[in-house]
This record gives sequence, C-alpha cells and structure tokens, in this order.
Amino acid sequence: MKGVLVDITRCVGCGSCVVACKLYNNLPWSNAPHLGKDAVLTADNWTVVKEFDVSKGKESVWRFVKEQCFHCLEPACASACFAAAFRKTPEGPVIYNERVCVGCRYCMIACPFSIPKYEWQARFPRVQKCQMCFYRVKDGEMPACVSVCPAGALKFGDRDALLKEAKERIAQNPGRYVNHVYGEKEYGGTCWLYLSDVPFEQLGFRTHVSTESIPHVSERVTKWTLPVAGGWAAVLTALYLATKGSGGAEKSH
Amino acid sequence: MAYEFPEGWRFRMTGWRKFFILVFLVAVGVMIYRLVYGLGAATHLNDQWPWGWWIAVDVLIGVALAGGGYSTAFLVHILHRKQFAPVARAALLTSMLGYILVLIGLFMDIGRWYNFWRPFLVYPGSWHSVLFEVFWCISLYTMVQVLEFGSIVFERVKSDWLKRVFDAMLPPLFILGVVLPTLHQSSLGSLYVVTVDRLDPLWWSIALPIFFLLSSFFVGPAMVTLEGSLAAKAYGRQMEIPVLSRLVKVGAWVMFIYLVLKLIDLGYRNQFGHLFDGSLESNLFLLEIVGGVIVPMIMFAIPSVRNSAGGLITASVLTVGGVILNRMNVVFTGMAAAMGGHYFPKWTEFMVTAGLIALAVLAYCFLVENFAILPAEEHVPAGKPSEAHTSYTVVG
Amino acid sequence: MEVEKLLEEALKQKEVTRRTFLKMMAGLGLAGLAGSVGGCLRQHEVAAGGEGWLPYQYDVAGTWPAHVRGRVPIDPSNPSIMRDDRKCILCGQCLEICHRVQSVYGYYELPIRDDIVCINCGQCSLACPTGAIQERDDTEKVLKALKDPNKFVVVQTAPSIRVALGEEFGMPPGTWVTGKMVAALRRLGFHAVLDTNFAADLTIMEEATELIKRIKGELPGRPLPQFTSCSPGWVKFCEYFYPDLLPHVSSCKSPQQMFGATVKTYYAEKRGIDPRKIVSVSIMPCTAKKFEAQRPEMISARKYWEKKKGPDFAKDVTRDVDIVLTTRELAKLIKQAKIDFPRLPDEDFDPLMGKCTGGAIIFGASGGVMEAAIRTAYFFITGKEPPPQLLDLKPIRGLASVKEAAVDIPGAGTIRVAVCQGMAASRQVLDIVRAGKAPWHFVEFMACPGGCESGGGQPRSSVPQANEVRAKRTASLYAADARWVWRESHENPDILKVYQDFYGHPMSELAEELLHTHYTSRADKLKAIQPSEKEKPWEQYYPARLTPEI
Repeated sequence: MKGVLVDITRCVGCGSCVVACKLYNNLPWSNAPHLGKDAVLTADNWTVVKEFDVSKGKESVWRFVKEQCFHCLEPACASACFAAAFRKTPEGPVIYNERVCVGCRYCMIACPFSIPKYEWQARFPRVQKCQMCFYRVKDGEMPACVSVCPAGALKFGDRDALLKEAKERIAQNPGRYVNHVYGEKEYGGTCWLYLSDVPFEQLGFRTHVSTESIPHVSERVTKWTLPVAGGWAAVLTALYLATKGSGGAEKSH
Repeated sequence: MAYEFPEGWRFRMTGWRKFFILVFLVAVGVMIYRLVYGLGAATHLNDQWPWGWWIAVDVLIGVALAGGGYSTAFLVHILHRKQFAPVARAALLTSMLGYILVLIGLFMDIGRWYNFWRPFLVYPGSWHSVLFEVFWCISLYTMVQVLEFGSIVFERVKSDWLKRVFDAMLPPLFILGVVLPTLHQSSLGSLYVVTVDRLDPLWWSIALPIFFLLSSFFVGPAMVTLEGSLAAKAYGRQMEIPVLSRLVKVGAWVMFIYLVLKLIDLGYRNQFGHLFDGSLESNLFLLEIVGGVIVPMIMFAIPSVRNSAGGLITASVLTVGGVILNRMNVVFTGMAAAMGGHYFPKWTEFMVTAGLIALAVLAYCFLVENFAILPAEEHVPAGKPSEAHTSYTVVG
Repeated sequence: MEVEKLLEEALKQKEVTRRTFLKMMAGLGLAGLAGSVGGCLRQHEVAAGGEGWLPYQYDVAGTWPAHVRGRVPIDPSNPSIMRDDRKCILCGQCLEICHRVQSVYGYYELPIRDDIVCINCGQCSLACPTGAIQERDDTEKVLKALKDPNKFVVVQTAPSIRVALGEEFGMPPGTWVTGKMVAALRRLGFHAVLDTNFAADLTIMEEATELIKRIKGELPGRPLPQFTSCSPGWVKFCEYFYPDLLPHVSSCKSPQQMFGATVKTYYAEKRGIDPRKIVSVSIMPCTAKKFEAQRPEMISARKYWEKKKGPDFAKDVTRDVDIVLTTRELAKLIKQAKIDFPRLPDEDFDPLMGKCTGGAIIFGASGGVMEAAIRTAYFFITGKEPPPQLLDLKPIRGLASVKEAAVDIPGAGTIRVAVCQGMAASRQVLDIVRAGKAPWHFVEFMACPGGCESGGGQPRSSVPQANEVRAKRTASLYAADARWVWRESHENPDILKVYQDFYGHPMSELAEELLHTHYTSRADKLKAIQPSEKEKPWEQYYPARLTPEI
C-alpha cells in the first residue's frame, strides 16, 4: 500500500503540484482558483494548494495545505457506489471508472472529506477527483505532484514506512510539529498523511472525527439487511398463514 | 365477485384537470431540457450541495408518503384485518403511483441517465452500497405493486385467466410487498448513516434506518386519511371515518414507539443539551417532533378527535408535515453546517416536482374512474363496521 | 495499406500528372480520416494499461513534459512579478536562477513565516522559457493617467533602457535608441519626458560625498566599506539576509526615487505645476523598482509639501514615483499605439532634468556606479579632473561576478573598491565584511548579473539571458560614455543648477530629506541558512575575478 506524506512545515506554496496535476491529467484550467485562500477543489481542480494565515504562538504565519483525495484505506465513496464505479486498488489509489458511473452523487454525500466533485456543466457529468496518478503508482513511480515538489514537502513511499517516518520526524524535532499524523487514524486511516506545526483544525482539516471507517459504520447497518429480509419474510408468512382463517376476525365480533 | 363497469374508458375533463395537464406538459418540457442540457443547466445543485430538491422531495419524501401502501397492506393482507380493507385498494394505488413518480424523479436526478440500468448488475463490491439496496428494493417493490394492481386491472379488462394468474401470485406478492418497503424505507435512513460527523447529531444516529422505517409506517394512515378525504371531496362521497379512525389509532401507537426510541437515542448520545440550545437546527427539530409527532399523536389518541373528520384531517396534516419536515431537515438543515455553500432550488426543479404531482393526480382520477378502487358506498354505511367482504366500485 | 497502395500506384506512373496528384492527395486524406476515426474508436475499446475494469482515462496525458522540476513560489500580491499558471511547464529554470544565481530560494529555513521571500529582481521572468512569469502589468494605469486631463504625467527613463528597447523592435542588442525612445514617449502623450540619468548624476554627487565623509569619519555609525544602494533587489536582499550590514548601505536613494522626489518638488516649483497633478512614471529595466516605488517611506515629496503648504494640500500629493513600467511594458505600449519605432526621428529630453553625463550612462552596467563615483570622488578630494585611466577603469568592467580595484587618490591614499553582480556571488564579499576583514572602502552591488542592462524587466532577447547580449548592451553604454561631452557627474549643467537653485550642496538638510532614506531589517521574515563554504553554485555561471590591485 503506497502513500504520500505531506509535511506542511516544508510547503512554500509554489503550486508546482497543482500545475503538475493539470499537466499530467490533461485537466482544463477553469476559473475556480487553484492557489491561495479561495482555492477550491472542483471537477477540474483535482488538487489545490490552499493558503491559511494563522497564528503560531505569538507569530502570525502563512501555511499552505495541499488538498486532494486522501485515498482512504477503506474509502466511503467505493462502499457507497451502487455501480462499483470507485475502487480501492491494492497499490493504494482510489480510482474511478466513468463508464459504469450512473451519476447519482451518493459518493459526494458519503465522502467524509467532501472530495469528489461533479462536472455540473456537462450533459453526462463525471465525478472527478485525484486518482493519485494510478498508472504511475502501479509502475512504481510517484504521483506527478510528488515528482515536482521542489521543497521536499511531499514524499511518496509505502504507507507504513511513511507513517513510521512521520512519527520519527515528530520525535526527532521536538517542538517543530504538533503531535499528530493526520490520516493515520481518521476515518480508518488514509494513504495521504499530513504533518503540521499548527493545529490541524486551523488549517481546514476536519478534526475530532471518527476513527472508524465510513464503510465500517454503514456496515453496522447493512449487515442486518439479509437477516431482516429473511426473518421478516418468515414472520410475515407465519402471520399470513396464522391469520388467514381468521379473515373474519371482525366478522365474529 | 362481479362488478359492473360502464362501457368504454372514461376521463372527465374539468378546469382543474386541464390545469394539471398543462402543468404536466410544462414539466415534460423541463425534463427534456434537463436530460439534454444536463444538471448544471436545469438545477442549482453544486459541489457543496450534490443532493437537493429532487432527492429530498421526489425520492425521500415521496417514498415516505407512499408508505400508506405497505402499512395498509400489512394490516389488511398479512394480518387479515379486513376492517381496513375499504381503504386498501386506494392505498395501494396511491402508493404505486407514488413509487412510479419516485422512479421518474430518480431518473431525472442521475447525471449519466443512459447508465440507469447499471446498478441492476451486480459488480464486485456494489452490494455493499446502501443505495444498491434502496435501488433494488424500490424497483422491485414498484414491480410488485404493479403486479398486485394487475389483479384489479384484469377485473376491468375481463380476462379471467389472467385475473386468475394474478390472483394466484398475490400471497407471495403481499409478503414481498411488505418485506421490500421495510427494507428500503429503513435503508433510506441508512443512506445518511454515512454522514456521521457531518449530519447534525439531532438527526444523525446509527438508528436512522429504524426512525425512517417507523415514520414511514405511521405516516401511512395519515396519508390514507388525507387521500381519502380528498377523494371524498372530489367525488362527493363520505369519508370512511370508522376505518380511518382505527387506522390512525395504529399509527398513534407507532408514533409513540417512535417518540420513545427518539428520546432514548438522544439521551444515549447526550444530545438533550443541543435540543434546547436555540440553534436553527434545534428549533426545527423541536418543531418536527412536537408539531409533527407529539401533537398529532395525542389527537389520534383522543377518540372524539379521531372520530371527527376535522380532527382526523388536522392531525393527519400535522403528521404528514412532520415527516416532510423530518426528511427536509435530514437533507438540508442538518447538513448545512457541514456542507457550506448555498443552495436554493431553481424553478425548473420545482416544476418537475409539480409536474409529477399533476401526473399522479391525473392518473389517480383516471384509475378510480375506470377501475374498482374505492369502496362501494351502499355497502358501507357511515358509522357502521365494514363487511368482511368489501366491495369496490368505480366512481365519477 | 491504402496509403501504400496509392503511393505505389503513383510511383508506377513515371509522370505524376495533376490528376493523379490530386487523386493521391484525396486518397491520403480519406485514409487519414479513416485512420483517425479508427484510432479514436480503438482508443475507447482498449483501456490503457490493459483489459477489464480499468478505465482508459488513466492514459498518460500527452502534455506531460519529459523533465519537470517545479518552480519558485510567487506571492499573488507580489508588486513586481506574477505568473500565468496556464503557461507554466515546471521546467525549473526559475528555481535555478533564484537558488543558484540569486541565492534566495533555498537559503531560508522552513517552515516559512508570513512572507514569501522574494527580492523582486525578476530574473526568473528572464529565465522563464514560456513567459509564464511576467512583470505585473501596470500599463493600464499609465494609459488611464494619460487620458486624465487633470494630470501632468512626467516620465523618466533609466540608463539601460536606451541600449535594449530597440531589441523589442528587431534591432540588434545594444542599439542606441535614446532619441527614438524620447520621440515615442512624446507620441504616447507624456507631458514631460525626462531622464533618470539626471538623477544618476545626482546620486553620484550625494553618494561620493557620503563616501568621503565616511572615509573621513564624519558620519558616526556609518562604517566602511560603504555599499551602493541603487539596486532595490540588492537592498531587499541585504534587509533579508544581511540586516546586520545595513549601516554599510549608503543612505542615498536610488536614482529613480531621487528623481521622483525632485520632480514633485524642484521641477514642480520651477515649472509652476501643481505637484498634486503630477503623475510620476518611470521606465525601468527592473521589476524590483515596482516594489521600491511602493516602499512606505518613499513619499518625501508629500512630506516636503506638508511642511510647506500644510497637510490638506499635501494629502493629494501622491507617491514620489507613482507607476513603474519595465522596458517590456514600454515596448508593449509603443506597439499598442502602433508607433513605428525604428522610423521615429531622434528627439531630445525636456529641459531641467534631461541632461546627463557619461558617468550616469554607465550606471546601466555592472561597475558603472562605482566608476562614476570614483571619478567624482577624485574631483571632490583633489579638485582636479581624474586621470585618463580612471575614465576607463577596466578592472571593474565586464561580466565577472566579483571584481576588485584599488585606486590611488592623492590626499586620500589608496581607495579599494569591489563590484559584485548577482546575489549568490555577492555573498562571499558580504561574508568577508561581516567577518570584519573587509579591505574595501566602497562596494557596488547589483542584484542582476550584468547590472541594470540585464535587469528583470529588460527585453527577453535570449532566454535565459545570454552573456553575449549582456556584453553588447554593456559595450554600447561604455561607447556612449566614451563619446559623451561630459564624463563626470559634477559636470552636468542641470545638476549644477539643481544644487544652485534648490538643494544648495550635497547632503544639505533638504537633500537629506528628499534624497536620502533608511532601511528596515527583514530578519523577522525568515531564518537564513548560511551556504556551506564549499558550495559556490554561482561560479558555473559567472566566475569571480578577484584582482589584487591595479
């Protein structure tokens, strides 16, 4: 399982990763900003670098957060899709097949990070999101965005090793980082991991969230489907037969 | 049983019906526009609000309000409570029409509509999807209802052997016709289980499916009452108050269970503080629970109220309003804080819904005027218990 | 198949007639069409990377460059440069320049603070092969001011514009186009066309005076060596990375700002123009000048009028320099106005602030400021004209990154000077000064290699800027110096007049007020990383030439 470690303390906000994503995936440039405070993920912006002006102790500092699909270990989008248009690959990337997609957008509701975006202006819109350059990863290469980062803020590798490294970086640089690797446990863990020196909630991250994966949460409900269906059918059949003769229960009244 | 049918098909044209036809035709135009130019052109949906009016109203509320079909069917056909039989066919009809509209509404809402059949195929992993279950159940249930309705159709169309075939299918269909709605009414709630941490905790609960199921069950009697009163008014008939009164009493008991479970659930998740914190969410939640559950429940519980047409209708309106508000709250109010952005439906979205409702009214009128749906009045004098063998008649 | 057959057929016929040719072309067209259609269909049939579920959109896109390396960060609110991301190909040339030549990117610790460190030099815009990085376009502001009947728009042109502007119109690098440039500016509608060279002479008067005072120890707290302050990129670099050396930097403003302060005071009074109506535009070879003009302290004229006519009057006096255009932007304006530049007649600058000396002209080249200062300092110290070798000070001319010279001035002894270009190379000199081991009296720093003539706003005649182009522009400047009537700044009649009528004498109270400035440490914006001793990445570009002595 591959992953990417994003060290927010090393990001200078150059946006190379955004351009790389556009170039590699042949994405059009739209009017939606891809850098800065108003940067927003859209069907054409699979990754953006968002600026946050925050205070760190007494200092006011600028921090840049690269946003894209987190590539959950147990992705909500894939479990939500009733046409199996999303799939978690063994290499890590969660990828999308437009040919089977029905366009119901339940993935957009299901994703706890609100990542999938829709081609609203298209006649037959696709759901769009970062694919983690699946074919590159499959061939052992790093995703396009990682390959161009000039500041060393992005690191590609095995998720386990990256997680270990992230914890080492925290341990070896006392005071540099907040003691949290975002993505280690959030919603069951994600392939993309983040390190930061300012609290994650100040950087637009959804914090204090379930450590249970979304598919696991919904599994708690859906696992009852077949038992309920079978049991209920049996009960109904029994009731039907038991009360059949008493069709005139009210008649004898 | 033999029924007397007039010669030929009848459809009386009135001013209202012309208006409904007009509304429907405009909606058809809008629907064609939507299918050709896409969702972005026809709706105000956006990346923050991928689901909007159509999912909330045409699907979630539509399915819930069509719950009258299965709750009545459960009482009449499974438990053989024949005293409810006079309203059974009307409940089946409105439910079936409701589901057909839901399917049309769903078709409007999917972006890649040429792929609508995909979920019928089973792909590896697709069965894990809640939506997969919902889609299958709704589709199958609609088919079941159409088959159940077949029995009624072939009384009129006079094909004895077909009528026999359909009648023979009825018992398993009745059982399926309760199992499937049980599954998907609850699964519509399960759809929002994935919104954990985002849907406001007043509504989000792991028990969402149970709440959706129970509310769809107790809204059934209320819907049957409202449809009955509308039909009575339209066709100058008496409402079947004794039947309806007993029906809503069942509903009141389910409401009570719903309420108790809701309170236990809120208590378990420590949300009582949030309940009275004066936020928009809490106020709308209180409105939904007090106005849509507690008040009508008490009204239904009081015999004098539920035995009067006015009381019955008022309480039913409150119940239906409560369920509509509940579904709206889940889709919009509860998600607003987490989703951000802005959404208000475009006129085209309202138009499609209006057109679908117009279609349903027209279809209902045509069917009750040509098929034996409503009980024959002479056999059911007002105020007396119904006969074991209810007979039906065409109206008009 | 079809194509081959058609070609074969065509070849069989000894003579290709018109008819067979057309037939063949039509056939080829059809075959091509069929091929395209077939190709399109095939693409959808076979998913990239294989069969089965995997969708075809994972095909490697055709626009992915073979060699990608990222790019420098640019603050969207940077006053000097901006980037069109649609043009960026991540070639990394901007990084190369910023890191290796200017030693900015990569020379501060991460995480960053609340600034995207940039010295505004614009060298990245000269290195960018796709033109994604450009100066911030201020031409609209100028056009708006020119259209406003209530404004009096004055323009100044820097020394190095006149040897480079012609390149935008097909002339060879180094072509001397002063006359045509003045004519073009008049045709664009500027109300007064004046010369930054005048202010360059003014700078030399002030800076040479300051140097002599420093040498004599008359300026406490201002140590030797004195650093030049004409290059705003260099000044900002010093504020970021060597804030402890700021007392070495001459308090003289750059010629652009001296001009701005003088035009809204002296010139306005002389010509009887309401200073509130003056819009001061400058044409610069430099993107950092856009930043410099916006520095908060650059409102000396307003302060002057505040004292003279009160705050109500002064509040409508705008910045000393209102709008800065690069050479490229001026060329754009000329082209937009459909002015046939090469055929323009030669015209002269307007009076009062239009005359210059050879010393001012060579400001445009690395070493020029130093040479001009030495000429005038020699005169100030000795009261005599400098000897001929001081009018052709070869050791500090040319493209070597660090140059040195020692000049004997009777009465002052041996004056040692150094000249640096490119900030990475300058660090070795700065580190020596910081260590307290500096043998020099005066050091010139230019942020851009080559000096102003290849500043970040100059025509992109070769990308990245070739030394050949630099050499030609430089040679043109020195040739003009050699043939000029006046060679030393103190010979400029307009300068003599401005001191006589307005400033009194160099470093007078009024001169201090209008022509001198102060600097702010930017140490809180970054934590600098010291480059290792061994690492001298600039040397592959501009080897240093440290000459012991003349």
